[in-house]
Amino acid sequence: MTGGSWLCLLAPLGGTIVITLLGTRISRVAAAWIATVSVFVAFGGAVWAFFSLRSQTGHHGEITTAWTWLQSGSFKVGLELLVDPLSTMMMLIVSGVGGLIVLYSIGYMDGDDEERRYFAYISFFVFSMLLLVEGGNLLMLLVGWGLVGLSSYLLIGFWHDRPSAVQAAKKAFVMNALGDATMALAFFILIAHTNSLSFATTFNAHLSSTAANFVALGLLGGAVAKSAQIPLQTWLPDAMEGPTPVSALIHAATMVTAGVYLIARTNPLFEQARTIELLAAGTGALTLLVAGLIALVQTDIKKVIAYSTMSQIGYMFLGAGVGGYANGMFHLMTHAFFKALLFMTAGLAIHALANEQDIRKMRGLGKVMPFTKWCFLAGALALVGVPPFAGFFSKDPIIASTLNIGWYGYVFYACGIAGAFLTGLYTFRLWFLVFPGEPSPFVREHYHDHYGREGAWTMLVPVAILAVLATVGGWIQFPPHWEPITHWLAPVAPSLADAVPSSTQETVTSVVTVLVGLAGIAVAWAVYSERRIAIPAAPTVRRVLENKFYFDWLYDRIFYEPAVATATFLRRDFEDPVILQSGPDLGEATIETGGLVRRLQTGLLRTYVLFIAAGAAAVVLAFLIAR
Amino acid sequence: MDGPGIAWYIAVAAVLFGIGALGVLIRRNTLVVLLSLELMLNAGNLALIAFSRHFHNGAGQIFALAVMAIAASEVCVGLGLVVALNRRRLSLDVDRLSELRG
Repeated sequence: MTGGSWLCLLAPLGGTIVITLLGTRISRVAAAWIATVSVFVAFGGAVWAFFSLRSQTGHHGEITTAWTWLQSGSFKVGLELLVDPLSTMMMLIVSGVGGLIVLYSIGYMDGDDEERRYFAYISFFVFSMLLLVEGGNLLMLLVGWGLVGLSSYLLIGFWHDRPSAVQAAKKAFVMNALGDATMALAFFILIAHTNSLSFATTFNAHLSSTAANFVALGLLGGAVAKSAQIPLQTWLPDAMEGPTPVSALIHAATMVTAGVYLIARTNPLFEQARTIELLAAGTGALTLLVAGLIALVQTDIKKVIAYSTMSQIGYMFLGAGVGGYANGMFHLMTHAFFKALLFMTAGLAIHALANEQDIRKMRGLGKVMPFTKWCFLAGALALVGVPPFAGFFSKDPIIASTLNIGWYGYVFYACGIAGAFLTGLYTFRLWFLVFPGEPSPFVREHYHDHYGREGAWTMLVPVAILAVLATVGGWIQFPPHWEPITHWLAPVAPSLADAVPSSTQETVTSVVTVLVGLAGIAVAWAVYSERRIAIPAAPTVRRVLENKFYFDWLYDRIFYEPAVATATFLRRDFEDPVILQSGPDLGEATIETGGLVRRLQTGLLRTYVLFIAAGAAAVVLAFLIAR
Repeated sequence: MDGPGIAWYIAVAAVLFGIGALGVLIRRNTLVVLLSLELMLNAGNLALIAFSRHFHNGAGQIFALAVMAIAASEVCVGLGLVVALNRRRLSLDVDRLSELRG
C-alpha cells in the first residue's frame, strides 16, 4: 500500500529530474515520452495503493513516515504520506486524467521550441498536486499547495515572450499566494492550540469557537484562492494564456480542485465552525451563478470553458460546504473527465485552426472535424447533466443535498437550479456557434488536418478515452440507490446527516435539474442556432457581464493603483532626494573635512615628535592631577 | 644596601631621558636623532633596573633585557633607512624629508 503511494509521488518528480538533467542530450520526443511514462507509472502506483487499501479491512488508511522533517521542542513534523480513501481517490484522478493530458500534450506541443522545458514543468505540476493530496500532515499539504502555485505560474507563463502570458502568470501567483498566506495563518493558530500539524491530533482537538472559526476561515481563504472562487476568481480566466493542455490540467486534474479536496480533507475542522462551512457553500453558490452569467458573453472558446470550470467548482464548494463531502468529491471526479475532454476537444479545434480561439469565426467546424464534434458533444451533455452522461449523476445530489439545512438551503437550491439553466445555455451557445452548420469562410481557409486526421494520434486517443469516461464515468454512483463512493469515503469524510436528501427530494431535484438544463439547451438552440429569438440587446447587462462584474476594475482601483501611486510617491519624494542624493552629499562632506584635517600633516618629523611628547606630558599631568 | 639611594638613579635616568628627548626634538641629522632615541630607551632601562633593585623584584631586569632587544631591532631598521637614504643620494636632514606633507 505504502509502496504504491511513494511510487505514485516520486515517479513524476523523477521524470522532471531526468528531463532537466539530460537537457538537450535527449530529443524532444524522448522528453515528452519520459514525462508521459512517469505520470502513467504514477497512475500505476495509485492503482496499486487503491487495491491494497481496498483489501484492508475497514480501509481506514495508513500513514508512512520517511523521516522526521523538522523538530522544534515538542513540535515535530515528519515527511509523511497518507494513504486513505480520500487520498487514493484523488491520486487516481490526478495521475489518471493527468497522464492522459500529458499524452495529449505530445501532439499539441509538437514543434514548440521549448518542449523539453514544458514536459519538465508538467510532470513537476503533477508531482506537486500528488504531494498535495498525499501529504500525511497539514505541513506537507501546504508544501504541495505552494508547489502547485509555483508550477501553475511556470506553465501559465510558459510562452514567456508574450507579455499577456507573463502578466497572467504573475496574477495567478499573487492571488494564490494570498490563499497560501491565510492557510499558513490558520496553521499557526492550530500549532498554538494543539502543538501539532498532524491530521489526527488537529482534527480531534476541541478548539474554542473563535479559534475554530479563524482556522476554518484561513483554510477557506486558501481553498477560495486555489479554486478560483469569488472574490479571488480573477486569475482563472487570465490563466488561459497558457497552452491548452495546461488549461486542461489546471481545470480538470490538478490545482482548482485542490480547494474542494481541502474542505473534504479538513472536514472535522470545518464542522467545528459550521458558519464558515456554510460560508463556503454560499461562496460556491454565488460563484456558480456569477461565472455562469459571465460565460454567456465570452467569445474566446477557452474562456467559456474556463468560466464553466469556475461555475462547476462552485457546485463542488456548495456540495462540500453543506456537508456532502462525497457529493463534492464525486462531482470533482466526473468534472475532471468532462472538463479535460472539453478542453482537449477545444485544443483540437484551436490546433487545427492555426491557434484561432474566437468562436465567432468557427461556425460549421463539425463538418470538417466530426470526431471532435461528437466528443465535444459528449462533454457538453455531461457538463449540462443530461442523463446518462456523467454530470447528471454527480450534480443532482449536490443540489438536492441543500434542502435540509435551513432557509438558506432553499437559496442555495435556487442558485443550483438557476446554475443548471445557465450551464445548458452557455454550453450549447458554444456548441451551436462552433460546430453545426456549413463551415464559415474562416474555417474553410484555415483548417488544416494532420496527415488526413483531425490531430496526432497522441491527441485523439486521450480524447476518445475521456469521451467514454464522460459518458459512463457517472454510473459508479447513483444516490440514493447505489453509493459506492459515499461508502468508500465514509471513514474519512462522512457526509453530515443534514446533507443526505430523502429519496423524493432526490428524484424531484433530478427531474427539475434535467428539465431546466434541457430548457437552457432549447433557449441556446432558439437564440444561437435558429435565431428565432434575437439575442436580447440589454446593453447595460451586457457591459456588466463583459467586464466580468467589474471585479478586475475594482481590484485595480483598490489594490493596484494605490500601490503604484505610493510607489511613485516614494520614488519621487523619498528615494530620489533622500537615498540617491545622499551618496554624493556624503562624499563631498568627507572631502571637505579631509581638507581641514590635511593641514595637520606637516611632513616634518620633529613636529610629530613634539605632538607626541606634548601628548605624553598631558597624559602624565592628567594622571598626576586625577590622583 | 650600599651606594646611592633610588632617587639618584631616577634623577640620572630623568636627565638622560630629557637629553634624549631634546635631541630628538632639536637635532636635524637623522643619525643623531637615532642616537637620541637610544639614549631615551636606555634612560628607561636605567629606571627599570633601579626599581628592580629597590623592590628586590627581577621583573624589571627582564623588562630591561626586552627593551634592549627592541632597541637593537629599532637601530637595525633606523640604520637601514639611513643607508637607503644615503644610497639614493638624499639628504639626511629630517626637515627636508617632508614628502608626506598633506
